[in-house]
Amino acid sequence: MTFRRRSLLALPAALALPLLRPGAAQATSMAVPAVAAPAPAFTGTNSNGAQVSLAQFAGKPVVLEWTNDGCPYVRKFYNAGAMQDLQRQAAAMGAVWLSIISSPPGEQGHVDGAGANALSQSRNAAPAHVLLDPEGRIGRIYGATVTPHMFIIDAKGTLVYAGGADSIPSTRQDDLARATPYVRDALTALAAGKPIANPITRPYGCVVKYRNQV
Amino acid sequence: MTARLLLLLLIGLAAPDARALESSIVSSPRAQASLVTEADAYLPGQPLRVGLRLRMAPGWYTYWQNPGDAGAAPELVFSLPEGATASPIAWPTPARHVTGPVMSYGYDGEVVLPVTIATTQALADRLVIQVHASWLVCEKICVPEDGDFTLTLPAGTLPAGTPTPSAEAPLFAAADAATPRSAPWPAAVSPEGVLSLRIPGLDATQVREAWFAPLAWGQVVHSAPQALAAAADGISLALRPGPEFRHAAGLSGVVVITDHAGRTSALSLTASPGPTIAPAAVLPLWQLVAFAVAAGMILNLMPCVFPVLAMKAMALARLSGTARRTALAHAGAYSAGVVATFLALAGALVALRAAGAVVGWGFQFQSPVFVAAMAWLLFAVGLNMSGLYGIGGGAVAGIGGTAAQRGGLTGNFLTGLLAVLVATPCTAPFMGAAIAGALAAPLWVTLLGFLAMGIGFALPYVALAAIPAFARLMPRPGAWMETLRQALAFPMYAAAVWMLWVVSLQTGPSGVLYTAGGMVLIGFALWALGLAQAGSGRRLAVAASLAASAAAIALLSTLATTPPATAAAPGAVQADASQSFTLARLAELRGEGKPVFVNMTAAWCVTCIVNEQLALAQPAVQQAFAARGITYLKGDWTRRDPAITDYLRALGRDGVPLYVLYPPRGGTPVVLPQILTEQRVLDELNRAGL
Repeated sequence: MTFRRRSLLALPAALALPLLRPGAAQATSMAVPAVAAPAPAFTGTNSNGAQVSLAQFAGKPVVLEWTNDGCPYVRKFYNAGAMQDLQRQAAAMGAVWLSIISSPPGEQGHVDGAGANALSQSRNAAPAHVLLDPEGRIGRIYGATVTPHMFIIDAKGTLVYAGGADSIPSTRQDDLARATPYVRDALTALAAGKPIANPITRPYGCVVKYRNQV
Repeated sequence: MTARLLLLLLIGLAAPDARALESSIVSSPRAQASLVTEADAYLPGQPLRVGLRLRMAPGWYTYWQNPGDAGAAPELVFSLPEGATASPIAWPTPARHVTGPVMSYGYDGEVVLPVTIATTQALADRLVIQVHASWLVCEKICVPEDGDFTLTLPAGTLPAGTPTPSAEAPLFAAADAATPRSAPWPAAVSPEGVLSLRIPGLDATQVREAWFAPLAWGQVVHSAPQALAAAADGISLALRPGPEFRHAAGLSGVVVITDHAGRTSALSLTASPGPTIAPAAVLPLWQLVAFAVAAGMILNLMPCVFPVLAMKAMALARLSGTARRTALAHAGAYSAGVVATFLALAGALVALRAAGAVVGWGFQFQSPVFVAAMAWLLFAVGLNMSGLYGIGGGAVAGIGGTAAQRGGLTGNFLTGLLAVLVATPCTAPFMGAAIAGALAAPLWVTLLGFLAMGIGFALPYVALAAIPAFARLMPRPGAWMETLRQALAFPMYAAAVWMLWVVSLQTGPSGVLYTAGGMVLIGFALWALGLAQAGSGRRLAVAASLAASAAAIALLSTLATTPPATAAAPGAVQADASQSFTLARLAELRGEGKPVFVNMTAAWCVTCIVNEQLALAQPAVQQAFAARGITYLKGDWTRRDPAITDYLRALGRDGVPLYVLYPPRGGTPVVLPQILTEQRVLDELNRAGL
């Protein structure tokens, strides 16, 4: 009797174990590469129209910098010359610096090849290549959410750093001196063959303006 | 106030010591920012609230303390005189902004970010509050903005000790209402990132949506789906741990829960490290359909589908000796009945749930009238199988029809219908998952799920009818069919007795009396019908039959008004000194001039449950009720109750929670806010002179 009573009276209760819908307002999923794992491969077009792939830099460290020249967080680094300094530090240790622009046409930060080269010249920037990624393909592979979002890949092709350019999420140049310079520290450690102290940090900045976003 | 401001402007005076309640405004095409205070004076030694007020242009938004994947939280840097200190911002609950693959947490429209300033007695007779604020506003592009704000407040000298609220005070009330409340129950997070939140008394089926935002970056992957599932006494969210997630350190954040009526509750919580919990999988559609078909098939074998088996056996027996085409037509009619009934049940379930009712599979068995009617129907079918009377091609022919009457496709359809109705109290393996998944999904998936279950339920019978080898196995039609039919009457009687027992649980002895009495009358009516069919005393028999049926139906309506045997569902009701709400009890107490506190609640109302835990169930409140002779009446709206619905409507509400304080001796009733705190309730009691 007890069993039957349960089988009937527990019916509404049986439904209290439902599988409910996940939250409706979720972002479209994006791969997030793992630090200490092999960096995902990609091929893109640089500002001079040439094809550039990650594979061709095997044996050298590679730095990825997501950028948007209209973003106030990016401007903080460029106006102070801090990003340019990092680019030269990377070049000096034999690393390849790739600036990647994932803004599609019509969005802040979008430039064509000539525009990208003009920007590098006017800002005295020293990237090895500027990759134009208006479809957001490389950005989505790396899970780049903001500008500037920084990634460092070591000479063996392992992702060793992902995160912000430094530790203070602000647009004030004054903060540059007070912040922990995560990327500079990571490059220094990499050059010295030492472990990177902060391999994953909070990326901060402007939202990457992916095409076809909802 | 406006007139005074106008006057000041007209005569060109901007007196620095005017009781400025809102600072000058820093304005851009994107946002207007100002500093506001809750009161127009301050009392030395008493805390005071100020806030950054941001009014964003349409499309622009600013950020929460954890901005999410991008952006930055507003910052306030106070310059205060010695003796005054500012608290951190009490952040209102953010909204989610999804930009492609990027999740942000923030505010659009208008927001006030409140800060409490503690003061000491040593302060001068005026308090100058200076703040440098910086905030980021984003639309398609992000623009950092900042401003310096100053407000000067005089020291309050009111004897009552309470500075008058400023014109901006409602902004703070709105910010408070929008601020997550501390979850009064423990939360835990598993090493895999499954966050479980205990909310005792919550009917988790009523939760439409829930999402979690961590206080700090890196705890969870913000943009990852958060699968919601009902857990023991609460809910769980399967979060994807972020790079900074450390299980041993727990997880802090805000969980926002929305019920089916669209009511939202935000709770702040710190989850402690908990054991591994397998995250509940959300069924993909193909799996849902597969489960539903399997569940339907297995439902045929469940023990409480006893009478259904009898009906099926009879139906199969009738296939004996028929042409395959006829057999298939019968099987098709039976399947149509089954599927139509499943779809009708799905439709009724969806409609009732949309109306806010807490119903599930087998919901119709919650009604004693339905159960009694089922008991009678099963009894009547049993009497037919026993041979007390026959049915000529009519309603239930398929069930009891003799070999000679096997033509009725309608009968087969109705057999299918009855089979499903009788089977609904049973759940088969897979069924919980399939039904819950179907009900939680969009309407077309719900219907698809129930359709699949119906097909599964009908499938074995159709398969048997479709396989020629099976028909050949059946013995030739003959006297054995009549014997089998009579034997199968007994499962019907057994099922009727079971229904009677259910009625006894639902309504107690009087319900059993009405239902069993009705069975006697139905037995009498059908006996009379049988006599008439046999040709003896036709008129008298038909008249007796009609009279007995009418009496039986009258009994059914009596049963409908029989009070339930047990008290209201235990659901949300917690152990406190409350009495059940009825309008009569309220009127009686009011008539005696006694004070009354009315609490309208429901098991599926998160806000109600939190209010009860944080305020009403607190010893201070319960003691205050007892000490001041207040009768605490609690109405449970978990199941729809017209009396409570009318009461809510009379007070201009269409939902719970509702709190009403009736002062003694017929004083004007006070409706309390929907967000309660212990202090607020005690204040209201004092204000009502209790």
